[in-house]
Amino acid sequence: MTPSRWPTAIAFLVLALAVAASLFLGRVNVSPAEVIQGLLSPGASLAGLVVTELRLPRAVLAILVGASLGLSGAVLQGLLRNPLAEPGLLGVSNGAALGAVLSIYFGLSQAFPLATPLLGLVGAVGAGAMTFAFGRGGTLSLILAGSAVSGLALAFLALALNFAPNPYAAYEMNIWMLGTLSEKSWDHILLAAPFIALGLGILATMGRAVDALTLGEVQARSLGIDLDRTRILTLLGVGLSVGAATSVTGSIGFIGLVAPHLVRPFVGHQPGRTLLPSALLGAALLICADIVTRLLTTQNELRLGVVTSLIGAPFFFWLVLRLRKVAP
Amino acid sequence: MTILTAEGLTVERGGRVILDDVSFSLDAGTFVALVGANGAGKSTLLSVLAGLLKPDRGGVLLDGAPLAGADRRELARRRAFLPQNPRAEWPISVERLVALGLTPQLPAFGGLPGGFEPRLTDAIAVCDLIPQRLQPATTLSGGELARAMLARALVGDPEVLIADEPITGLDPRHAIDTVARLHTLAADGKLVIAAVHDLTLAARSATHLMALREGRLVAFGPITEVLTPDLLRRVFDVEARVSGDGRETLVDFLAPAV
Amino acid sequence: MGAAAAVLLASQPAAAAPSGYAKPQRILSMNLCADMLLLELVPKPRIAAVTYLAHDGAEALFPGADAGIAINHGTAEDIINLKPDLILAGAFSTPLTRRLAKAIGAPIVEVPDATSFDDIRRNLHQVGAAVGEPARAETLVARMDADLAALAALPARPPVRVIAWSGGDSVPGKETLSGRIIEAAGAVNIAARPGQTYGAIDVEELLAARPDALLYGGGGPLKASVRGEEGQHRVLRRLYAGRRIVYSDIAHTCGLPQSARSALDLRRALDALPEQRVAR
Repeated sequence: MTPSRWPTAIAFLVLALAVAASLFLGRVNVSPAEVIQGLLSPGASLAGLVVTELRLPRAVLAILVGASLGLSGAVLQGLLRNPLAEPGLLGVSNGAALGAVLSIYFGLSQAFPLATPLLGLVGAVGAGAMTFAFGRGGTLSLILAGSAVSGLALAFLALALNFAPNPYAAYEMNIWMLGTLSEKSWDHILLAAPFIALGLGILATMGRAVDALTLGEVQARSLGIDLDRTRILTLLGVGLSVGAATSVTGSIGFIGLVAPHLVRPFVGHQPGRTLLPSALLGAALLICADIVTRLLTTQNELRLGVVTSLIGAPFFFWLVLRLRKVAP
Repeated sequence: MTILTAEGLTVERGGRVILDDVSFSLDAGTFVALVGANGAGKSTLLSVLAGLLKPDRGGVLLDGAPLAGADRRELARRRAFLPQNPRAEWPISVERLVALGLTPQLPAFGGLPGGFEPRLTDAIAVCDLIPQRLQPATTLSGGELARAMLARALVGDPEVLIADEPITGLDPRHAIDTVARLHTLAADGKLVIAAVHDLTLAARSATHLMALREGRLVAFGPITEVLTPDLLRRVFDVEARVSGDGRETLVDFLAPAV
Repeated sequence: MGAAAAVLLASQPAAAAPSGYAKPQRILSMNLCADMLLLELVPKPRIAAVTYLAHDGAEALFPGADAGIAINHGTAEDIINLKPDLILAGAFSTPLTRRLAKAIGAPIVEVPDATSFDDIRRNLHQVGAAVGEPARAETLVARMDADLAALAALPARPPVRVIAWSGGDSVPGKETLSGRIIEAAGAVNIAARPGQTYGAIDVEELLAARPDALLYGGGGPLKASVRGEEGQHRVLRRLYAGRRIVYSDIAHTCGLPQSARSALDLRRALDALPEQRVAR
């Protein structure tokens, strides 16, 4: 009964293809030869600059953010034993958005570049902690608490918008919240990557715990799993990774819901085995959504969060309908 | 050699006393049948013995060491706990479900090391689940799931097995098999304590009987000595008859006590 | 957009300024561009209020001009509290505003957006007449024309390719005042697609188009970008170091006499650009 390596390998392959597509495709035609040339000797030509300063950081950031969302979704679904769980549901995403918007709104980001990811983190972890604190007493309780916390964060976001210094600032905040990977550079990656990496590292250790939780909380505890520690570490991991990711790119939803769900049937539904493939597939999905935003030429920029929502929301509906049929 | 000692266990919930100053010592190589009316405190007692519930007063010692400060994984390796109505939250295969019982022995990452394969197969075979090995746990019948959970508890080769109503819902064939298995475990030197309602089966296979009434320990001792109609009247408020002995023991419940 | 005529409601005719016409004494401006015109045309005591956005624009163009003047947020309460005898509004005033103005007997003058120097002249005349300062308005028009003449008198130069870039979501195109200012300065707006006002441009497209210089209008009241400087992609910062021209956005957003000065300043900045082009 050695676990098959196939799901992880295939997810990795899909990701590699997506990254390659992301480097070769874009608004400006850069031939494959120029892309390779650009990677090897950056700065020598326009193509090289486009590849190394625009497309490559964009792909790397997409990987970091997509992996954060996918892995967080997988761990949360395993922890809560519910396939509808994702960071957005627990208010973490909106909390991060609130932190980041406040940082931008009060001009902190201009004084101190790390302010935005840090405040995003604080918002994410704070929102998650509130959800866990109020949501004791089962999964339903937790989801309802997450909904409430999410609503609270949105209320404060609306407040910030309401009191925006001028109409253009309000427009900018709104647009920012729709999520984007455009105009991101290595600077953004340097800011967010340490937090994302730390969060991912913490989440990656949750495999045994979520596996044991298949038997329910009592049996999991009897198997030596410290549930309190598991919850806190999950909260920290999700908060750090999703918090930093959201503070750089804005709110991007549904990746954390969809990726684990697609992976699960191929790993025998075992939660611990969904972790790594979900991270890889989340990254791949995000890159693909990003490619869509770059290839569709529109008057205004098509935002990434809009694409993921347009695909993810119908998927959510389908998931709910399916669960109604299957669940007792 | 004593393994599990309870000292003055008291648990209170919402003003009600669930367990009231319960003390006893359990030795290795015994199969203790825990009986009592619904709400007598059996589940609570088993949870406390397993180290999963902290008593308000008193404590449990495993080989003289208090459970309170014990290392979780170490404890998990030595004792297995089966709650009432266990369920699987995901449709994983029976094989993977049983393998979860090895969690305390496994490192943080990685799949099941090859060395554990035979133990896994043994546990599945012993619980008569070979045909269902690859079947999703959520599609099993109640009885099959109960056996799978027992296999999960046994695969880790625990010294102590604590089970809350492990034969409830099993058909006669599998109920007899399960009880026989528990008896064999005890004969092999393990400590087994199981809450049961079927007193006939208990009488035929268990070595000791422990009875609770309203949170108090009213009887504990070798089953042949302790199991009497008088005790049954005190514990269950019913008139009962105990006939035969050893493998032929029969416990009949006749009528409510007046 | 330029063809819309001013709409004047209520009793007072304001097109001409007959000798018996009493100058409005409490003028309320509910539109940023109208604010700027008002501050230039009329002495402070006759201004009832300007909008909350006016300060940044005034700071850039004529510091201190708005000191001590009340501000309004364009609400009905403002109209009732301030009791103006003339209201300057933008091209789209709400029915509520119009009803209230009628109720208190104040004429509303709707000042349309200006997207060309002709528009600016027309607006100056219109507002000048409405506030009772036609002579002052003429002075300002003359000043603007002088700037334009000075611009035309400069020697022709090979066109410089530029783009007004402060983040890619809103780049001024051909049919904007910004676009016309760039044209007047003798530069070529690479974002000028026919018929387009403001559009989105990807950084990749920007790099591929290889403008000779970037124009940055950040810091004005309407373009007070919350992203600020860190909204600039680092590859642009590197490539266009020393080839970035900063201008005050107010004169590009609003049609003002200063818009011509802005074109003149832009021309001078372009002339001052280092000769070496962006590396190929």
